[in-house]
Amino acid sequence: FQDQAEQFFRSGHTNNWAVLVCTSRFWFNYRHVANTLSVYRSVKRLGIPDSHIVLMLADDMACNPRNPKPATVFSHKNMELNVYGDDVEVDYRSYEVTVENFLRVLTGRIPPSTPRSKRLLSDDRSNILIYMTGHGGNGFLKFQDSEEITNVELADAFEQMWQKRRYNELLFIIDTCQGASMYERFYSPNIMALASSQVGEDSLSHQPDLGIGVHLMDRYTFYVLEFLEEIHPASQTNMNDLFQVCPKSLCVSTPGHRTDLFQRDPQDVLITDFFGSVRKVEITTETISLDSDLAGFESKLLQDEMAAEPLKYAEQLPVAQIIHQKPKQKDWHPPGGFILGLWALIIMVFFKTYGIKHMKHIF
Amino acid sequence: VVEGLALLDLGVSPYSGAIFHETPLIIYLFHFLIEYAELVFMITDVLTAVALYLAIQDFNKVVFKKQKLLIELDKYAPDVAELIQTPMEMHYIPLKVALFYLLNPYTVMSCVAKSTCAINNTVTAFFILATIKGSAFLSAVFLALATYQSLYPLTLFAPALLYLLQRQFIPIKLKNKSFWLYTMQYAALYLCSLLVIICLSFFLLNSWDFIPSVYGFILSVPDLTPNIGLFWYFFAEMFEHFSLFFICVFQINVFFYTIPLSIKLKEHPVFFMFVQIAIISIFKSYPTVGDIALYMAFLPVWSHLYRFLRNIFVLSCVLIVCSLLFPVLWHLWIYAGSANSNFYYAITLTFNIGQILLISDYFYAFLRREYYLTHGLHLTRQDGTEVMLVLK
Repeated sequence: FQDQAEQFFRSGHTNNWAVLVCTSRFWFNYRHVANTLSVYRSVKRLGIPDSHIVLMLADDMACNPRNPKPATVFSHKNMELNVYGDDVEVDYRSYEVTVENFLRVLTGRIPPSTPRSKRLLSDDRSNILIYMTGHGGNGFLKFQDSEEITNVELADAFEQMWQKRRYNELLFIIDTCQGASMYERFYSPNIMALASSQVGEDSLSHQPDLGIGVHLMDRYTFYVLEFLEEIHPASQTNMNDLFQVCPKSLCVSTPGHRTDLFQRDPQDVLITDFFGSVRKVEITTETISLDSDLAGFESKLLQDEMAAEPLKYAEQLPVAQIIHQKPKQKDWHPPGGFILGLWALIIMVFFKTYGIKHMKHIF
Repeated sequence: VVEGLALLDLGVSPYSGAIFHETPLIIYLFHFLIEYAELVFMITDVLTAVALYLAIQDFNKVVFKKQKLLIELDKYAPDVAELIQTPMEMHYIPLKVALFYLLNPYTVMSCVAKSTCAINNTVTAFFILATIKGSAFLSAVFLALATYQSLYPLTLFAPALLYLLQRQFIPIKLKNKSFWLYTMQYAALYLCSLLVIICLSFFLLNSWDFIPSVYGFILSVPDLTPNIGLFWYFFAEMFEHFSLFFICVFQINVFFYTIPLSIKLKEHPVFFMFVQIAIISIFKSYPTVGDIALYMAFLPVWSHLYRFLRNIFVLSCVLIVCSLLFPVLWHLWIYAGSANSNFYYAITLTFNIGQILLISDYFYAFLRREYYLTHGLHLTRQDGTEVMLVLK
């Protein structure tokens, strides 16, 4: 019974959310919208409902006047897969995709008039998937060609989420150039991060479609999607397989991941813990009697849980170690030779002007 | 200075940023005194006032002695008794000078703003004190310090030299050997101390990059933040390929007046010093109101010229109104956005014109008094009509 109960509470989450952000506008950034919509499609297929997905697309590709196939966004060349479809629900569109709105969604500090579909109503038992794509650099991600979000801001936003108990576990995936720099600064617990390229590398796009005229997908997301196509709600594939997706031979850039903040071993983390919304339901026909014996058992279970989860929300991880800050330099002092020379000069000038007879008064 | 010290604490040269343009000796001074910065600036202002007080006291004695000598030698015309200075009226002049410096709103403002101009003023005041006391060595050392801080006191070499020559009773004739000997001595002292100070600053940071940051900055004027001077607007509007030419023109403008003034005012080196300090503070590349405070402190010394000044009312109005309008137009330009840089530039222009008017007025009054002293108060032409002196 204990093992079954342990299995039941293995991951500790009871609901799943997804925040999918595409930060680029303009027609030639078609692939970023296609990336986001593909992930959206997979996530929906695996069970997360629209009410639990916050989809932010910075531009409208489907109805862009340059789109030769209006109302479609393809993710595969030869127009094999239309990821736009009839049931795409975009929550933040066009100019609403700003750094401020993104951070407000994450931290929950939203004006009271915001509709429910635009809110991230997660709680402390939610596993959140955050997927971001666009143009980025070392330490920043560009939003809409006019502003940036830095890795420090993102880390602080996640810390706010942790302190407000807005997530149980968080999976952060980023597909931009130098994406690994965006997760360097995280310091909150229970975050796992994946990026499509290391600092100094560019993430490359996959295949252009000559009929549409632009690149349709980025390599990393393309191979992640191929991987996700084989996942179904009951699959037991774990995170280590996801880390192997898109090796350097296929992706040209080196994908990176970060698991030091995550409490559980990545081997025990199922893909569906983040990408799907799997309700752990066990149907039983037996009756289980809850008797007074359970009180002792409960406290034992609580102890086990507490032993497994030593971190309270109030305690924080050692931030300085995680962020790898440079140690503070020693204070500068003027060199001894300089001080000596300066004061020798001053004393010489003094005695030259006022005569040597003062020397015996001073010494 | 705070930024420079912070950069040093991080292990980076303070001159690698674009903000710190002070000399290494200031780094050394403030490394230990940065927490007591307000106290430091108050003490420097007090030191400047004390130095000016002592200098003017000595100067009065010199003036008085010279006057007596000239009266005995019968160099003065008979009817100029009212123009001669008496010890009674000169008694309070040093105190007035010190008070003029300390109570000047410009001094107060630069002390509150903790501008290093106060330190420059102190060094210049000590230089003046050393010169008037007659010690060539000390005056060369302080002049070297002042030049090391901001390049322009180099022009004060000429009046100091003239004063010291006068004190040693060496006539200023180009063929005179002792004149050249003394000049060489003084110049050698000055250059050697300057070299020693610069080499010492090298040893503070073990690098020479303070030289382009401090002197290159003063001479090439890269930073065009608006100030009360004339450089910023001009060079903000300038095309790139003319800027070198005009920088040279503007910088020569500061140094240019030394030679003609030294020829005209070779008998009166302290007045020459005053005019030179004023010219520096008007035409330097980054003037501040602290520089103005220094030469305004000297005005009581020439209070006997009052009857010859012609533009007192206009001048004082212009200076007061412009000083009051500076912050108003700054606010309107930068914060309210309803004015633009031309307004502020107009006020800079007017303010500097006021200052130039002040200098030329005093210059005119001084020369007029000298002329009256030797030629008598009531000037007449050959045919007996009254004449008026003009400054050509």
